[in-house]
Amino acid sequence: MKLSVNIAGVEFKNPIIAASGTFGFGREYNRFYDVSVLGGICTKGLTLLPREGNAGTRIAETPSGMLNAVGLQNPGADRFIREEMPFLETLNTVVIANVAGNTEDDCVALTRKICQTNVDMIELNISCPNVKEGGVAFGVCPTSVENITRKVKRACTKPLIVKLSPNVSRIADNARAAQNGGADAISLINTLTGMAIDYRTRRPVLSFTTGGLSGPAIKPVALRMTYEAYKSVSVPIIGMGGIMSAEDVLEFMIAGARAVQVGSANIFDPFASFNLVKTLTTLLKACKIEDISELTGSLKVN
Amino acid sequence: MKDIVFTVTHLKFLNKDVFELKLTAPEPLPECRAGQFINLKVADASLCLRRPFCLYKFDKTSVTLIIEIVGKGTRLLAQLKKGDTVTGVMPLGNGFIVEKQHQNIALISGGIGCAPLLAVPLTHPNKNVCAYLGFSDKSKTVLVDEFKKACRVKVSTDDGSYGFNGYATDAFLDDFNSGVFKPDVLLTCGCEPLLKAVQQISRQLKIPAYMTGETRMGCGVGACLVCACAVHEGGKTVQKRACADGPVFLIEDVVL
Repeated sequence: MKLSVNIAGVEFKNPIIAASGTFGFGREYNRFYDVSVLGGICTKGLTLLPREGNAGTRIAETPSGMLNAVGLQNPGADRFIREEMPFLETLNTVVIANVAGNTEDDCVALTRKICQTNVDMIELNISCPNVKEGGVAFGVCPTSVENITRKVKRACTKPLIVKLSPNVSRIADNARAAQNGGADAISLINTLTGMAIDYRTRRPVLSFTTGGLSGPAIKPVALRMTYEAYKSVSVPIIGMGGIMSAEDVLEFMIAGARAVQVGSANIFDPFASFNLVKTLTTLLKACKIEDISELTGSLKVN
Repeated sequence: MKDIVFTVTHLKFLNKDVFELKLTAPEPLPECRAGQFINLKVADASLCLRRPFCLYKFDKTSVTLIIEIVGKGTRLLAQLKKGDTVTGVMPLGNGFIVEKQHQNIALISGGIGCAPLLAVPLTHPNKNVCAYLGFSDKSKTVLVDEFKKACRVKVSTDDGSYGFNGYATDAFLDDFNSGVFKPDVLLTCGCEPLLKAVQQISRQLKIPAYMTGETRMGCGVGACLVCACAVHEGGKTVQKRACADGPVFLIEDVVL
């Protein structure tokens, strides 16, 4: 049975990738299992300079999901390179650096810096809903998606993934814009903007007022957007949004994903990604699927 | 670390909202420290996040938790029956580090905040410990007898319906000012006003104090960064992870 997949020339031993922002830099979960069993690890979103993130309450539970507003807390590029990269280099898995910035120039400078390390790929984060500047601001209008992708691509010596926001008019337009800008792959979806209110205090639960909704609650939206993106671009797609089980992985691949990212599930269960790799093998056997790649885009349209 | 499948061996209500839950593991547990916590799964697919609870009592194969019903998750846990299983990861967090020179220890708590403090005298039987347990009124008093078995206790109620009339911090200051007890360290847990009062006492009396607070948590293992706790460090305010850098912090450093 073949579990490996290839995205923009990078070989993943299986299609399970830990999603940015839910897996730190891999160290914490490596205390639970050898994280090298995963196809890949996407780092916490990085910025050129360190960021403390948002103060106060950053999480709210919602039915079958959660809202978060961390605000891109991260150690910055230099400390990432100095303190986290040496550990990541010891792992036998694909390392994807998630890069973000307040301005296009920041994103370009950061990409240039990170490309000098041994990371395997760059994921451009133009979809973080929890920061006041940058973040999703680049990710809404197709023209700005194409512009920033083009600028970052010019500075990027590694395969470039562009992570799309679902908080847009037509995801297909944004996927096409990323492809036109030179993206080697597309990942989607980032979180859906949402809100939680405490009726007793009449205040938002999150200090940032709004947050990003994730977890199984958003899976149907994510599947639909993966499917629409698949129909509109030729570059590989990494699907994500509420994946909890091996069945979910197959569904995303059938919709058009070549690999998937697992996010909130790691937060709900420290063994989530590890268990997914194991149960995926069992499920493929049961379904008599020889090569997992045959699933990608195999949806039979009604 | 691993996920442990515990069996419920005991569940008892201490008052209408607070219950004691004893969980027994199928194999020896890792070594635990007062102030550490467990992240427990709730048996409802729509409640995805695990629930963090401090360890109240522990031994080689079991942990006991004190849980207040505050929402759907804790209500479901309250319905567990003897013999049911529940999954959790533990021990998490740093816990209270009781230093050698800290011979005299004052515990100062508000309400159910006393729960994580009992393990301090239980695991340090040679220390001189006095617990100042504050409650809003007599009907809310919990665990007083358990503390009495382990250390000296002074109970206070906000309305004076039981014990000292005032807050736990008032009861402590009463003892301190009259020379009854001069601790080397203060360990505290409770609501924010209580923590602020202890922070002030710690500054004024120049006695180090450690707090364990309460914050909404995600992964519980240090990866997701949602349980931010603002702490002064090197002249700056930095966001620490309550789950992995805490939940116990030197109160002097915490932005309250």
